[in-house]
Amino acid sequence: MSNGFIERSLLGVFSFLKESVSSEEYAAKRGLLQFIEARVKVLIFACLLIAVVSVRNTSILYVFYSVCVLLAVFSGISLGYFLKRTWVFIPLFSLFIAIPALFSVFTPGDTLVTFQLAGARFIITWQGFDGAVLFVMRVATSVSLVVLLNLTTRQTELLRTLRIFGIPQIFVMTLSMCYRYIYLFAEIIEHAYIGIKSRVGTALHYKKGQHIVAWKIANLWERSQQLNEEVYNAMLSRGYTGEPKVLERSLGIKSRAPSLKQNRIL
Amino acid sequence: MDEIIFELKDIHYSYLGKFPALRGVDLDIVKGSMVSVIGANGTGKSTLLQILDALIQPQKGQVKAFGKEINEEAFKDEEFSRFFRSKVGLVFQNSDVQLFCPTVKEDIVFGPLQLGVEHGEIRKRLDGLVESLGIKDLLERSPHQLSVGEKRKVAIASTLAMDPDVLLLDEPTAGLDPATVRHIIDILIDAHEKGKTIITATHDLHILEEISDVIHVFNREKCIARSGFAWDILADSELLEANNLVHIHKHRHKDKVHAHRHDHRLDHHHEEHS
Repeated sequence: MSNGFIERSLLGVFSFLKESVSSEEYAAKRGLLQFIEARVKVLIFACLLIAVVSVRNTSILYVFYSVCVLLAVFSGISLGYFLKRTWVFIPLFSLFIAIPALFSVFTPGDTLVTFQLAGARFIITWQGFDGAVLFVMRVATSVSLVVLLNLTTRQTELLRTLRIFGIPQIFVMTLSMCYRYIYLFAEIIEHAYIGIKSRVGTALHYKKGQHIVAWKIANLWERSQQLNEEVYNAMLSRGYTGEPKVLERSLGIKSRAPSLKQNRIL
Repeated sequence: MDEIIFELKDIHYSYLGKFPALRGVDLDIVKGSMVSVIGANGTGKSTLLQILDALIQPQKGQVKAFGKEINEEAFKDEEFSRFFRSKVGLVFQNSDVQLFCPTVKEDIVFGPLQLGVEHGEIRKRLDGLVESLGIKDLLERSPHQLSVGEKRKVAIASTLAMDPDVLLLDEPTAGLDPATVRHIIDILIDAHEKGKTIITATHDLHILEEISDVIHVFNREKCIARSGFAWDILADSELLEANNLVHIHKHRHKDKVHAHRHDHRLDHHHEEHS
Protein backbone atom coordinates (compact mmCIF):
# COMPACT_ATOMS: atom_id res chain seq x y z
CA MET A 1 0.00 0.00 0.00
CA SER A 2 2.69 2.47 1.08
CA ASN A 3 4.90 1.35 -1.82
CA GLY A 4 2.03 2.00 -4.21
CA PHE A 5 1.60 5.44 -2.72
CA ILE A 6 5.35 6.19 -3.01
CA GLU A 7 5.41 4.86 -6.56
CA ARG A 8 2.43 6.98 -7.61
CA SER A 9 3.96 10.02 -5.91
CA LEU A 10 7.36 9.53 -7.54
CA LEU A 11 5.94 8.94 -11.00
CA GLY A 12 3.61 11.90 -10.47
CA VAL A 13 6.55 14.13 -9.55
CA PHE A 14 8.54 13.00 -12.62
CA SER A 15 5.57 13.43 -14.90
CA PHE A 16 4.83 16.90 -13.44
CA LEU A 17 8.48 17.92 -13.76
CA LYS A 18 8.70 16.76 -17.37
CA GLU A 19 5.39 18.41 -18.19
CA SER A 20 6.45 21.67 -16.52
CA VAL A 21 9.71 21.73 -18.42
CA SER A 22 8.52 20.59 -21.79
CA SER A 23 4.86 21.40 -22.24
CA GLU A 24 4.30 23.86 -25.01
CA GLU A 25 0.71 22.82 -25.55
CA TYR A 26 -0.74 26.06 -24.18
CA ALA A 27 1.94 28.24 -25.75
CA ALA A 28 0.87 26.88 -29.14
CA LYS A 29 -2.80 27.76 -28.59
CA ARG A 30 -4.40 30.90 -29.94
CA GLY A 31 -5.38 32.94 -26.91
CA LEU A 32 -5.13 36.37 -25.39
CA LEU A 33 -1.68 36.04 -23.82
CA GLN A 34 -0.28 33.98 -26.68
CA PHE A 35 -1.10 36.86 -29.00
CA ILE A 36 1.11 39.32 -27.11
CA GLU A 37 4.73 39.52 -28.23
CA ALA A 38 7.11 37.82 -25.79
CA ARG A 39 9.12 40.95 -24.93
CA VAL A 40 6.00 43.02 -24.28
CA LYS A 41 4.53 40.19 -22.23
CA VAL A 42 7.65 39.87 -20.06
CA LEU A 43 7.62 43.61 -19.48
CA ILE A 44 3.91 43.64 -18.53
CA PHE A 45 4.32 40.68 -16.19
CA ALA A 46 7.41 42.18 -14.56
CA CYS A 47 5.40 45.38 -13.81
CA LEU A 48 2.49 43.30 -12.48
CA LEU A 49 4.85 41.33 -10.23
CA ILE A 50 6.33 44.53 -8.79
CA ALA A 51 2.80 45.82 -8.17
CA VAL A 52 1.76 42.57 -6.45
CA VAL A 53 4.70 42.52 -4.07
CA SER A 54 4.21 46.21 -3.25
CA VAL A 55 0.46 46.06 -2.51
CA ARG A 56 -0.50 45.92 1.20
CA ASN A 57 -4.24 45.61 0.71
CA THR A 58 -5.71 42.10 0.50
CA SER A 59 -8.76 43.27 -1.50
CA ILE A 60 -6.51 44.62 -4.27
CA LEU A 61 -4.66 41.28 -4.29
CA TYR A 62 -8.01 39.50 -4.74
CA VAL A 63 -8.58 41.67 -7.81
CA PHE A 64 -5.10 40.86 -9.15
CA TYR A 65 -5.66 37.16 -8.55
CA SER A 66 -9.06 37.28 -10.28
CA VAL A 67 -7.40 38.98 -13.25
CA CYS A 68 -4.88 36.08 -13.38
CA VAL A 69 -7.69 33.53 -13.43
CA LEU A 70 -9.51 35.47 -16.17
CA LEU A 71 -6.30 35.73 -18.20
CA ALA A 72 -5.88 31.96 -17.90
CA VAL A 73 -9.42 31.39 -19.14
CA PHE A 74 -9.06 33.83 -22.07
CA SER A 75 -5.75 32.21 -23.00
CA GLY A 76 -7.35 28.80 -23.39
CA ILE A 77 -5.73 27.29 -20.29
CA SER A 78 -7.79 24.65 -18.52
CA LEU A 79 -8.80 26.18 -15.19
CA GLY A 80 -8.25 22.91 -13.30
CA TYR A 81 -4.75 22.57 -14.74
CA PHE A 82 -3.93 26.21 -14.01
CA LEU A 83 -5.10 26.01 -10.37
CA LYS A 84 -3.26 22.71 -9.84
CA ARG A 85 -0.09 24.10 -11.38
CA THR A 86 -0.33 27.26 -9.24
CA TRP A 87 -1.46 25.97 -5.88
CA VAL A 88 1.01 23.09 -5.78
CA PHE A 89 3.72 25.71 -5.13
CA ILE A 90 1.86 27.75 -2.52
CA PRO A 91 2.51 25.45 0.48
CA LEU A 92 6.17 25.23 -0.53
CA PHE A 93 6.57 28.99 -0.40
CA SER A 94 4.17 30.03 2.31
CA LEU A 95 3.47 27.20 4.77
CA PHE A 96 6.39 27.80 7.08
CA ILE A 97 5.97 31.57 7.08
CA ALA A 98 2.20 32.05 7.00
CA ILE A 99 1.17 29.48 9.65
CA PRO A 100 3.45 30.70 12.48
CA ALA A 101 2.38 34.28 11.66
CA LEU A 102 -1.20 33.36 12.63
CA PHE A 103 -0.31 33.00 16.30
CA SER A 104 -0.07 35.64 18.96
CA VAL A 105 3.52 34.65 19.74
CA PHE A 106 4.63 36.11 16.41
CA THR A 107 1.80 38.56 15.70
CA PRO A 108 0.27 40.01 18.87
CA GLY A 109 -3.21 41.55 18.59
CA ASP A 110 -6.95 40.92 19.01
CA THR A 111 -7.95 37.33 19.59
CA LEU A 112 -9.70 35.52 16.74
CA VAL A 113 -9.58 31.90 17.95
CA THR A 114 -8.16 30.21 21.03
CA PHE A 115 -7.46 26.48 21.34
CA GLN A 116 -5.49 24.04 23.44
CA LEU A 117 -3.09 21.47 22.00
CA ALA A 118 -0.96 19.05 24.08
CA GLY A 119 -1.62 21.15 27.18
CA ALA A 120 -0.47 24.38 25.53
CA ARG A 121 -2.82 27.32 24.82
CA PHE A 122 -2.66 28.80 21.33
CA ILE A 123 -4.15 32.12 20.24
CA ILE A 124 -4.73 33.07 16.62
CA THR A 125 -5.00 36.84 16.26
CA TRP A 126 -6.96 38.94 13.74
CA GLN A 127 -3.77 40.75 12.82
CA GLY A 128 -1.95 37.43 12.38
CA PHE A 129 -4.79 36.05 10.25
CA ASP A 130 -4.84 39.17 8.03
CA GLY A 131 -1.05 39.03 7.64
CA ALA A 132 -1.14 35.34 6.71
CA VAL A 133 -3.93 35.87 4.16
CA LEU A 134 -2.06 38.84 2.66
CA PHE A 135 1.10 36.75 2.40
CA VAL A 136 -0.61 33.71 0.86
CA MET A 137 -2.53 35.87 -1.63
CA ARG A 138 0.67 37.69 -2.59
CA VAL A 139 2.46 34.38 -3.17
CA ALA A 140 -0.53 32.88 -5.01
CA THR A 141 -0.84 35.89 -7.33
CA SER A 142 2.89 36.09 -7.99
CA VAL A 143 3.11 32.35 -8.74
CA SER A 144 0.01 32.63 -10.96
CA LEU A 145 1.64 35.40 -12.98
CA VAL A 146 4.84 33.41 -13.44
CA VAL A 147 2.91 30.27 -14.37
CA LEU A 148 0.80 32.23 -16.87
CA LEU A 149 3.91 33.69 -18.49
CA ASN A 150 5.58 30.30 -18.58
CA LEU A 151 2.56 28.47 -19.98
CA THR A 152 1.75 30.96 -22.72
CA THR A 153 5.27 31.63 -23.98
CA ARG A 154 7.58 29.16 -25.69
CA GLN A 155 10.77 28.47 -23.75
CA THR A 156 12.94 29.59 -26.64
CA GLU A 157 11.10 32.92 -26.80
CA LEU A 158 11.41 33.42 -23.06
CA LEU A 159 15.11 32.72 -23.13
CA ARG A 160 15.62 35.06 -26.05
CA THR A 161 13.70 37.73 -24.20
CA LEU A 162 16.17 37.49 -21.32
CA ARG A 163 18.91 38.34 -23.79
CA ILE A 164 16.99 41.37 -25.03
CA PHE A 165 16.79 42.63 -21.44
CA GLY A 166 20.58 42.70 -21.28
CA ILE A 167 21.22 39.43 -19.45
CA PRO A 168 24.64 38.10 -20.62
CA GLN A 169 24.54 35.48 -23.35
CA ILE A 170 26.58 32.97 -21.35
CA PHE A 171 23.95 33.09 -18.56
CA VAL A 172 21.06 32.64 -21.01
CA MET A 173 22.87 29.77 -22.70
CA THR A 174 23.60 28.03 -19.39
CA LEU A 175 19.97 28.45 -18.37
CA SER A 176 18.72 27.01 -21.66
CA MET A 177 21.07 24.04 -21.29
CA CYS A 178 19.85 23.45 -17.73
CA TYR A 179 16.31 23.41 -19.06
CA ARG A 180 17.30 21.01 -21.82
CA TYR A 181 19.02 18.53 -19.50
CA ILE A 182 16.56 18.63 -16.57
CA TYR A 183 14.21 16.72 -18.84
CA LEU A 184 16.90 14.19 -19.71
CA PHE A 185 17.73 13.61 -16.05
CA ALA A 186 14.05 13.31 -15.09
CA GLU A 187 13.84 10.56 -17.70
CA ILE A 188 16.97 8.85 -16.37
CA ILE A 189 15.55 8.87 -12.82
CA GLU A 190 12.21 7.55 -14.02
CA HIS A 191 13.87 4.72 -15.99
CA ALA A 192 16.14 3.92 -13.04
CA TYR A 193 13.12 3.65 -10.76
CA ILE A 194 11.34 1.31 -13.19
CA GLY A 195 14.60 -0.69 -13.55
CA ILE A 196 14.88 -1.11 -9.79
CA LYS A 197 11.23 -2.07 -9.50
CA SER A 198 11.57 -4.70 -12.24
CA ARG A 199 14.41 -6.35 -10.32
CA VAL A 200 13.44 -6.02 -6.68
CA GLY A 201 9.64 -5.99 -6.90
CA THR A 202 7.58 -3.79 -4.62
CA ALA A 203 8.27 -5.21 -1.14
CA LEU A 204 11.59 -3.77 -0.04
CA HIS A 205 13.08 -3.31 3.40
CA TYR A 206 13.48 0.38 4.12
CA LYS A 207 17.23 0.00 4.78
CA LYS A 208 17.74 -1.64 1.40
CA GLY A 209 15.58 1.10 -0.11
CA GLN A 210 17.77 3.78 1.45
CA HIS A 211 20.85 1.98 0.14
CA ILE A 212 19.45 1.87 -3.42
CA VAL A 213 18.39 5.54 -3.32
CA ALA A 214 21.85 6.59 -2.05
CA TRP A 215 23.50 4.54 -4.77
CA LYS A 216 21.22 6.03 -7.45
CA ILE A 217 21.97 9.58 -6.25
CA ALA A 218 25.71 8.86 -6.50
CA ASN A 219 25.22 7.27 -9.90
CA LEU A 220 23.21 10.23 -11.16
CA TRP A 221 25.86 12.63 -9.92
CA GLU A 222 28.51 10.66 -11.79
CA ARG A 223 26.40 10.62 -14.94
CA SER A 224 25.83 14.36 -14.74
CA GLN A 225 29.59 14.90 -14.43
CA GLN A 226 30.20 12.66 -17.42
CA LEU A 227 27.48 14.36 -19.46
CA ASN A 228 28.89 17.74 -18.52
CA GLU A 229 32.28 16.76 -19.94
CA GLU A 230 30.81 15.21 -23.07
CA VAL A 231 28.59 18.20 -23.82
CA TYR A 232 31.53 20.55 -23.39
CA ASN A 233 33.54 18.40 -25.82
CA ALA A 234 30.62 18.50 -28.28
CA MET A 235 30.66 22.30 -28.01
CA LEU A 236 34.42 22.48 -28.52
CA SER A 237 34.14 20.17 -31.50
CA ARG A 238 31.81 22.67 -33.15
CA GLY A 239 34.11 25.61 -32.66
CA TYR A 240 33.00 26.94 -29.24
CA THR A 241 35.74 29.05 -27.69
CA GLY A 242 34.10 30.28 -24.49
CA GLU A 243 32.09 33.12 -25.98
CA PRO A 244 28.84 31.73 -27.36
CA LYS A 245 27.43 33.21 -30.54
CA VAL A 246 23.76 32.49 -31.01
CA LEU A 247 21.07 32.57 -33.61
CA GLU A 248 19.68 35.99 -34.32
CA ARG A 249 16.27 36.75 -35.74
CA SER A 250 17.85 37.58 -39.09
CA LEU A 251 18.19 33.83 -39.61
CA GLY A 252 14.49 33.41 -39.58
CA ILE A 253 13.37 32.35 -36.10
CA LYS A 254 9.78 33.34 -36.15
CA SER A 255 7.41 33.90 -33.26
CA ARG A 256 3.81 32.89 -33.54
CA ALA A 257 3.00 36.24 -32.01
CA PRO A 258 3.23 39.33 -34.19
CA SER A 259 6.38 41.43 -33.91
CA LEU A 260 6.55 44.69 -31.97
CA LYS A 261 6.14 46.61 -35.22
CA GLN A 262 3.13 44.54 -36.25
CA ASN A 263 1.62 45.04 -32.81
CA ARG A 264 1.83 48.77 -33.24
CA ILE A 265 0.09 48.50 -36.61
CA LEU A 266 -2.57 46.22 -35.15
CA MET B 1 50.00 10.77 -54.89
CA ASP B 2 47.23 10.57 -52.28
CA GLU B 3 47.22 13.39 -49.74
CA ILE B 4 47.38 12.11 -46.18
CA ILE B 5 45.30 14.27 -43.85
CA PHE B 6 45.68 12.29 -40.63
CA GLU B 7 48.89 10.58 -39.61
CA LEU B 8 48.90 8.70 -36.30
CA LYS B 9 52.07 7.10 -34.98
CA ASP B 10 52.26 4.75 -31.99
CA ILE B 11 49.21 6.27 -30.24
CA HIS B 12 48.63 5.26 -26.63
CA TYR B 13 45.75 6.49 -24.51
CA SER B 14 44.40 5.35 -21.17
CA TYR B 15 41.58 6.69 -19.00
CA LEU B 16 42.61 7.87 -15.52
CA GLY B 17 46.06 6.58 -16.39
CA LYS B 18 45.10 2.97 -15.68
CA PHE B 19 42.36 1.87 -18.12
CA PRO B 20 44.00 1.51 -21.52
CA ALA B 21 41.86 2.48 -24.51
CA LEU B 22 44.47 2.49 -27.27
CA ARG B 23 47.83 0.76 -27.38
CA GLY B 24 50.25 1.58 -30.15
CA VAL B 25 47.93 2.58 -32.98
CA ASP B 26 49.48 3.54 -36.32
CA LEU B 27 47.11 4.94 -38.90
CA ASP B 28 47.18 7.06 -42.05
CA ILE B 29 44.01 8.54 -43.49
CA VAL B 30 43.91 9.68 -47.06
CA LYS B 31 41.92 12.72 -48.13
CA GLY B 32 38.56 11.90 -49.71
CA SER B 33 38.57 8.28 -48.54
CA MET B 34 35.87 6.35 -46.71
CA VAL B 35 37.39 4.66 -43.72
CA SER B 36 35.72 2.49 -41.14
CA VAL B 37 37.03 1.49 -37.76
CA ILE B 38 35.41 -1.68 -36.49
CA GLY B 39 35.75 -3.65 -33.31
CA ALA B 40 33.75 -5.03 -30.43
CA ASN B 41 32.62 -2.75 -27.59
CA GLY B 42 35.46 -1.26 -25.59
CA THR B 43 38.17 -1.65 -28.22
CA GLY B 44 38.94 2.07 -28.39
CA LYS B 45 36.98 3.18 -31.47
CA SER B 46 35.33 6.19 -29.80
CA THR B 47 38.62 7.18 -28.17
CA LEU B 48 40.29 7.14 -31.58
CA LEU B 49 37.61 9.45 -33.01
CA GLN B 50 38.02 11.87 -30.12
CA ILE B 51 41.77 11.91 -30.71
CA LEU B 52 41.18 12.57 -34.42
CA ASP B 53 38.88 15.46 -33.43
CA ALA B 54 41.58 16.73 -31.03
CA LEU B 55 39.20 16.60 -28.06
CA ILE B 56 41.69 14.47 -26.15
CA GLN B 57 45.43 14.18 -26.60
CA PRO B 58 47.27 10.85 -26.58
CA GLN B 59 49.61 10.20 -23.67
CA LYS B 60 52.17 8.75 -26.04
CA GLY B 61 52.64 8.96 -29.78
CA GLN B 62 52.18 11.61 -32.42
CA VAL B 63 49.10 12.86 -34.27
CA LYS B 64 49.46 14.99 -37.37
CA ALA B 65 46.48 16.58 -39.09
CA PHE B 66 46.72 18.59 -42.30
CA GLY B 67 50.49 18.41 -41.98
CA LYS B 68 50.64 19.92 -38.50
CA GLU B 69 51.29 18.15 -35.21
CA ILE B 70 48.16 18.18 -33.04
CA ASN B 71 48.70 18.94 -29.38
CA GLU B 72 47.46 21.43 -26.80
CA GLU B 73 50.07 23.92 -27.92
CA ALA B 74 48.72 23.86 -31.50
CA PHE B 75 45.24 24.81 -30.26
CA LYS B 76 46.54 27.88 -28.43
CA ASP B 77 46.85 29.36 -31.91
CA GLU B 78 43.31 30.69 -32.49
CA GLU B 79 43.70 30.72 -36.25
CA PHE B 80 44.71 27.06 -36.37
CA SER B 81 42.00 26.13 -33.86
CA ARG B 82 39.35 27.73 -36.07
CA PHE B 83 40.86 26.15 -39.19
CA PHE B 84 40.87 22.67 -37.60
CA ARG B 85 37.32 22.96 -36.23
CA SER B 86 36.01 24.08 -39.60
CA LYS B 87 37.75 21.15 -41.31
CA VAL B 88 36.79 18.30 -38.94
CA GLY B 89 33.31 17.49 -37.61
CA LEU B 90 32.38 14.75 -35.17
CA VAL B 91 28.96 13.14 -34.83
CA PHE B 92 28.81 11.80 -31.28
CA GLN B 93 27.45 8.39 -30.40
CA ASN B 94 24.98 9.89 -27.92
CA SER B 95 22.94 12.49 -29.79
CA ASP B 96 21.71 13.99 -26.50
CA VAL B 97 25.27 15.11 -25.88
CA GLN B 98 25.44 16.90 -29.20
CA LEU B 99 22.02 18.53 -29.16
CA PHE B 100 22.27 21.02 -26.32
CA CYS B 101 20.42 24.03 -27.76
CA PRO B 102 16.76 24.85 -27.06
CA THR B 103 15.67 24.12 -30.65
CA VAL B 104 16.80 21.96 -33.55
CA LYS B 105 17.39 25.05 -35.70
CA GLU B 106 19.70 26.60 -33.11
CA ASP B 107 21.58 23.33 -32.79
CA ILE B 108 22.15 23.09 -36.54
CA VAL B 109 23.52 26.63 -36.83
CA PHE B 110 25.55 26.53 -33.58
CA GLY B 111 28.74 25.28 -35.26
CA PRO B 112 28.83 27.73 -38.19
CA LEU B 113 27.97 30.63 -35.85
CA GLN B 114 30.92 29.81 -33.57
CA LEU B 115 33.19 29.55 -36.60
CA GLY B 116 32.14 33.00 -37.77
CA VAL B 117 30.49 31.88 -40.98
CA GLU B 118 28.57 34.69 -42.64
CA HIS B 119 24.82 34.68 -41.89
CA GLY B 120 23.77 34.43 -45.54
CA GLU B 121 25.94 31.35 -45.96
CA ILE B 122 24.54 29.80 -42.74
CA ARG B 123 21.01 30.36 -44.01
CA LYS B 124 21.97 28.67 -47.30
CA ARG B 125 23.51 25.67 -45.52
CA LEU B 126 20.51 25.38 -43.20
CA ASP B 127 18.04 25.40 -46.10
CA GLY B 128 20.12 22.82 -47.99
CA LEU B 129 20.31 20.45 -45.01
CA VAL B 130 16.64 20.84 -44.17
CA GLU B 131 15.81 19.91 -47.74
CA SER B 132 18.19 16.96 -48.08
CA LEU B 133 17.50 15.46 -44.65
CA GLY B 134 13.77 16.13 -44.65
CA ILE B 135 13.79 17.76 -41.22
CA LYS B 136 11.74 20.89 -41.92
CA ASP B 137 9.05 19.91 -39.42
CA LEU B 138 11.62 19.46 -36.66
CA LEU B 139 13.27 22.88 -36.85
CA GLU B 140 11.32 24.65 -34.10
CA ARG B 141 11.12 21.59 -31.85
CA SER B 142 13.21 20.99 -28.77
CA PRO B 143 15.70 18.08 -29.10
CA HIS B 144 14.06 16.18 -26.24
CA GLN B 145 10.86 15.97 -28.28
CA LEU B 146 12.57 13.97 -31.04
CA SER B 147 12.80 10.22 -31.61
CA VAL B 148 16.21 8.51 -31.57
CA GLY B 149 16.34 8.46 -35.38
CA GLU B 150 15.35 12.12 -35.65
CA LYS B 151 17.97 13.08 -33.07
CA ARG B 152 20.65 11.23 -35.05
CA LYS B 153 19.65 13.00 -38.28
CA VAL B 154 19.72 16.38 -36.54
CA ALA B 155 23.11 15.55 -34.97
CA ILE B 156 24.47 14.74 -38.44
CA ALA B 157 22.91 17.94 -39.80
CA SER B 158 24.52 19.98 -37.01
CA THR B 159 27.92 18.63 -38.03
CA LEU B 160 27.34 18.91 -41.78
CA ALA B 161 26.27 22.54 -41.26
CA MET B 162 29.92 23.29 -40.48
CA ASP B 163 30.74 21.96 -43.96
CA PRO B 164 33.78 20.04 -42.70
CA ASP B 165 36.18 18.27 -45.05
CA VAL B 166 36.38 15.34 -42.63
CA LEU B 167 33.32 13.77 -41.09
CA LEU B 168 33.88 11.55 -38.06
CA LEU B 169 30.92 9.39 -37.04
CA ASP B 170 30.64 7.35 -33.88
CA GLU B 171 28.17 4.48 -34.30
CA PRO B 172 25.90 6.51 -36.61
CA THR B 173 23.36 3.73 -37.13
CA ALA B 174 23.23 2.14 -33.68
CA GLY B 175 19.68 1.46 -32.51
CA LEU B 176 17.96 2.85 -35.60
CA ASP B 177 15.21 1.36 -37.73
CA PRO B 178 16.17 0.09 -41.23
CA ALA B 179 14.66 3.04 -43.12
CA THR B 180 16.58 5.58 -41.02
CA VAL B 181 19.78 3.52 -41.40
CA ARG B 182 19.30 3.63 -45.17
CA HIS B 183 18.76 7.38 -45.09
CA ILE B 184 21.92 7.91 -43.02
CA ILE B 185 23.98 5.72 -45.38
CA ASP B 186 22.69 7.78 -48.31
CA ILE B 187 23.66 11.00 -46.51
CA LEU B 188 27.19 9.65 -45.98
CA ILE B 189 27.55 8.47 -49.57
CA ASP B 190 26.33 11.85 -50.77
CA ALA B 191 28.83 13.64 -48.51
CA HIS B 192 31.61 11.42 -49.84
CA GLU B 193 30.62 12.17 -53.43
CA LYS B 194 31.00 15.84 -52.57
CA GLY B 195 34.64 15.12 -51.68
CA LYS B 196 34.43 14.70 -47.92
CA THR B 197 36.52 12.20 -46.01
CA ILE B 198 34.26 9.88 -44.02
CA ILE B 199 35.60 8.08 -40.96
CA THR B 200 33.09 5.84 -39.22
CA ALA B 201 33.43 3.84 -36.02
CA THR B 202 30.90 1.04 -35.92
CA HIS B 203 30.25 -2.60 -35.27
CA ASP B 204 27.30 -2.69 -37.62
CA LEU B 205 28.82 -4.82 -40.37
CA HIS B 206 25.76 -4.54 -42.59
CA ILE B 207 26.59 -0.97 -43.55
CA LEU B 208 30.34 -1.36 -43.94
CA GLU B 209 30.57 -2.27 -47.56
CA GLU B 210 28.69 0.82 -48.64
CA ILE B 211 30.51 3.30 -46.45
CA SER B 212 34.07 1.97 -46.51
CA ASP B 213 36.97 1.78 -48.92
CA VAL B 214 39.31 0.74 -46.13
CA ILE B 215 38.52 -0.98 -42.83
CA HIS B 216 40.66 -1.11 -39.70
CA VAL B 217 39.77 -3.89 -37.28
CA PHE B 218 40.46 -3.15 -33.61
CA ASN B 219 41.01 -6.03 -31.24
CA ARG B 220 40.70 -6.62 -27.48
CA GLU B 221 44.34 -5.54 -27.05
CA LYS B 222 43.18 -2.04 -28.15
CA CYS B 223 45.26 -2.00 -31.26
CA ILE B 224 44.70 -2.62 -34.95
CA ALA B 225 44.43 -6.34 -35.67
CA ARG B 226 44.24 -5.87 -39.42
CA SER B 227 43.66 -3.19 -42.03
CA GLY B 228 42.50 -3.80 -45.56
CA PHE B 229 39.97 -3.20 -48.30
CA ALA B 230 36.37 -3.60 -47.21
CA TRP B 231 35.68 -6.67 -49.33
CA ASP B 232 38.77 -8.51 -48.05
CA ILE B 233 38.03 -7.77 -44.42
CA LEU B 234 34.37 -8.75 -44.68
CA ALA B 235 35.33 -12.00 -46.41
CA ASP B 236 37.66 -12.96 -43.56
CA SER B 237 35.17 -14.71 -41.29
CA GLU B 238 37.85 -16.01 -38.95
CA LEU B 239 39.16 -12.51 -38.31
CA LEU B 240 35.65 -11.19 -37.69
CA GLU B 241 34.76 -14.07 -35.41
CA ALA B 242 38.01 -13.75 -33.46
CA ASN B 243 37.16 -10.10 -32.83
CA ASN B 244 33.55 -10.66 -31.75
CA LEU B 245 32.15 -9.12 -34.90
CA VAL B 246 30.21 -12.10 -36.20
CA HIS B 247 28.19 -14.73 -34.47
CA ILE B 248 26.70 -18.11 -35.20
CA HIS B 249 23.07 -18.12 -36.37
CA LYS B 250 20.87 -21.00 -35.40
CA HIS B 251 17.52 -21.55 -37.00
CA ARG B 252 15.10 -24.37 -37.62
CA HIS B 253 14.33 -26.02 -40.97
CA LYS B 254 11.25 -28.12 -40.23
CA ASP B 255 12.55 -30.51 -37.55
CA LYS B 256 16.29 -29.86 -38.04
CA VAL B 257 18.32 -27.11 -36.33
CA HIS B 258 20.69 -25.49 -38.77
CA ALA B 259 23.71 -23.39 -37.67
CA HIS B 260 25.97 -21.16 -39.75
CA ARG B 261 28.06 -18.00 -39.52
CA HIS B 262 26.27 -14.73 -40.04
CA ASP B 263 27.38 -13.35 -43.42
CA HIS B 264 27.57 -9.58 -43.83
CA ARG B 265 28.71 -9.38 -47.42
CA LEU B 266 26.20 -7.89 -49.78
CA ASP B 267 26.18 -10.97 -52.03
CA HIS B 268 23.21 -10.53 -54.31
CA HIS B 269 22.17 -11.00 -57.89
CA HIS B 270 20.61 -8.38 -60.11
CA GLU B 271 17.86 -9.93 -62.12
CA GLU B 272 17.70 -8.99 -65.74
CA HIS B 273 14.45 -7.37 -66.67
CA SER B 274 13.47 -7.37 -70.24
